[in-house]
Amino acid sequence: ALCSRLSSIRAASSCTNGQTGCHFLSLANLFDRVIQHSARMHGISNDLHSEFELYFLPSKNQIGRVSRNCHTSTILTPNGKENAQRIAREELTEVILKLLVAWREPLWHFHQNMAQHREFNNFSSNKSLEMSEMVHELRRGVQKVVEKMQMLGVINSSLGNLGSPEALLASDRAEWRLMNDYDLLYCFRRDSNKIQNYLKILKCRIVPEHGC
Amino acid sequence: GPEWELAFIICFPRKFDCRSREKETFSCWWEPGSDGGLPTEYRLFYTQEREVRECPDYVSAGANSCFFDKKHTSIWAEYTMTVVATNALGNASEEFRITDVMEYVKPDPPVNVTVVVNSSAPSPFLEIRWKSPPDVDVRTGWVTLKYELRVKQNDSKEWKVNIGSETFFNFYNVYPGLLYMVQVRCKLDHGKWSEWSNTIFAEIPKNHQLEKYFWIFVFVFSLVPFLMAMYIVLLKRNAVKQCLLPPVPGPKIKGLNAHLLKSGRSEDVVNALMGNQNFPPVAAWTEQVEDFLLVSDSDEWLLTDSFASEKNKDIFIIPAGLHLGLEIQRRDLSVDLNTWEKTDDSKEEAKSNFSNMEPINLPVEKHEFLNGEEKSIQPLASTSYVDIQQHPTLTDYSRVKEVNDNTILILNEEEIPHGLDAEEVKSEVSVPDDYSRVKEVNSDVVFLEKGDSADGCCKKKEDHYTDWTNQKPIMPLESELSKGFCLKMIASGYVDSGPAFSVK
Repeated sequence: ALCSRLSSIRAASSCTNGQTGCHFLSLANLFDRVIQHSARMHGISNDLHSEFELYFLPSKNQIGRVSRNCHTSTILTPNGKENAQRIAREELTEVILKLLVAWREPLWHFHQNMAQHREFNNFSSNKSLEMSEMVHELRRGVQKVVEKMQMLGVINSSLGNLGSPEALLASDRAEWRLMNDYDLLYCFRRDSNKIQNYLKILKCRIVPEHGC
Repeated sequence: GPEWELAFIICFPRKFDCRSREKETFSCWWEPGSDGGLPTEYRLFYTQEREVRECPDYVSAGANSCFFDKKHTSIWAEYTMTVVATNALGNASEEFRITDVMEYVKPDPPVNVTVVVNSSAPSPFLEIRWKSPPDVDVRTGWVTLKYELRVKQNDSKEWKVNIGSETFFNFYNVYPGLLYMVQVRCKLDHGKWSEWSNTIFAEIPKNHQLEKYFWIFVFVFSLVPFLMAMYIVLLKRNAVKQCLLPPVPGPKIKGLNAHLLKSGRSEDVVNALMGNQNFPPVAAWTEQVEDFLLVSDSDEWLLTDSFASEKNKDIFIIPAGLHLGLEIQRRDLSVDLNTWEKTDDSKEEAKSNFSNMEPINLPVEKHEFLNGEEKSIQPLASTSYVDIQQHPTLTDYSRVKEVNDNTILILNEEEIPHGLDAEEVKSEVSVPDDYSRVKEVNSDVVFLEKGDSADGCCKKKEDHYTDWTNQKPIMPLESELSKGFCLKMIASGYVDSGPAFSVK
């Protein structure tokens, strides 16, 4: 069950006196929640990918597979620790949000397809539904974190296009339909790992004293 | 032509594997193909984002390897590796594709694993601590380390497992005196598990406190009955004294009064001691002596001694359990060694119909059985039984074990001498040969000692009984000798089987 409903974080934002310590604590808590959320999402995507491989591709070769083109390849993402640490906070945050936005619709359609396939058992079907819901919830959570960060002055308020994800979606609308289900799972597993990593790096850059 | 010769000589490198220890660098190895023994050079080229580059480091990861440092490592990126083998005969290449370095992430096992036994109350537990592998960066949040811990009893086969993110764990399911094994391993993100760390052993010390309590408990519980016993002994000390230290009968001399001694009048003392000076006539004394049986070790004496044969000793032998209603006539028994030796073998075959007729255990039923039958001892023609009517009657022979004045000896053994045949008993009176068995002699009765429970002799086949009537009375074998009389039930009555004497 998704216990980390971000609406319940209202209590954390009841620091009225403007004490910075209190606010940063609540920001750290927010980060923890979204990180937990992303970890769970990545876990589910990993499970689904393994199950899919088990059911549909019993004989797989680790090395020498056909190259995959994920629809998110166009999004430039830092591919290493140093890169992720060097990149600007705002940019990193933007990457996270872009990824989350890009996956909302494909996962929803994936779930619709899987529900109709009988090979995929009910358990996996529930997972795909959960996955598609989570990506949506996580995006909302990260947006809350961004608002908090902007409020605290941690990042610039100049990230205007984050508030309008539809602009991001438009460019990606067609590409994801070209992916088959297996590639989709593979790509999402990779991207959810990225999201989790970036969130953690971001937290440790902004609020390092709260457990890194 | 030379081209396909080449194909046979140089085999493409087949195996290819990579590993990343910390999700920041990675290495790849290839298996050198069969190269015909010629020095072969291997080169690796990789393409990433349409740019072909050569391996930056052929050395750090060992032979036939390529090491990619942080600068050259891109996680979540795709690599296409081409390994080219070149030697004097030509070159060959093979392509390998890595879609994501994340798939090859396998860390080193955790380090500094320590297991400490914490013996605090209420129960001991294992404090297990460890550290992340040295290369892995845990501070920037770049990796998420998960640990798996397993503990098992040294001689058990089942591991108890725990997965978590912390670097410590308290294991409570331990018992004193047992040895435990602990291992830890770790995983980066969704990569592969590392190898297990070295096994750490820990032994839980035995719980001496519990043992202390146990012994205190035992002591107290054994003390209470002890004290009670002492108290009872104290209360009944007189009775105990009587039991443990029976009063030694003081010297009682007829006519002598202890007080007399105390008073100290010498005349009275002397008189008392000496009694009246009238001694009984000697003849009376010898008469008494006459009634005593003679003891001897040799049968020769028994057979040849005129004195013995003259004496016509009367021997009262009453089988144990014999109902008093039966008349026991005096029987003269003779010793016939020869017959006995013959029947030695037959004895072995005898079954035991009388296994339950041991005289010691003769139950009342037997008694009653006898009663019901109202049979007397079959007086055999040639036998003469001693008339015991003059003796006081007893109600239960099986119980009589002691002698009062003129009572009859009770023999507790049942042993039937082989082939004892009352009919052919000679008229001679035979003196019991084994006087060592004679416990006490009193007037006309000989008391033989109780022997072991009937064995062998009493357990005879039924057919043996029929032999009895035809055979001469036989002395039981030496091995049997310790027994007394056997009671044998033939058909409906007891037959006096005769005495068991030792033949020495």
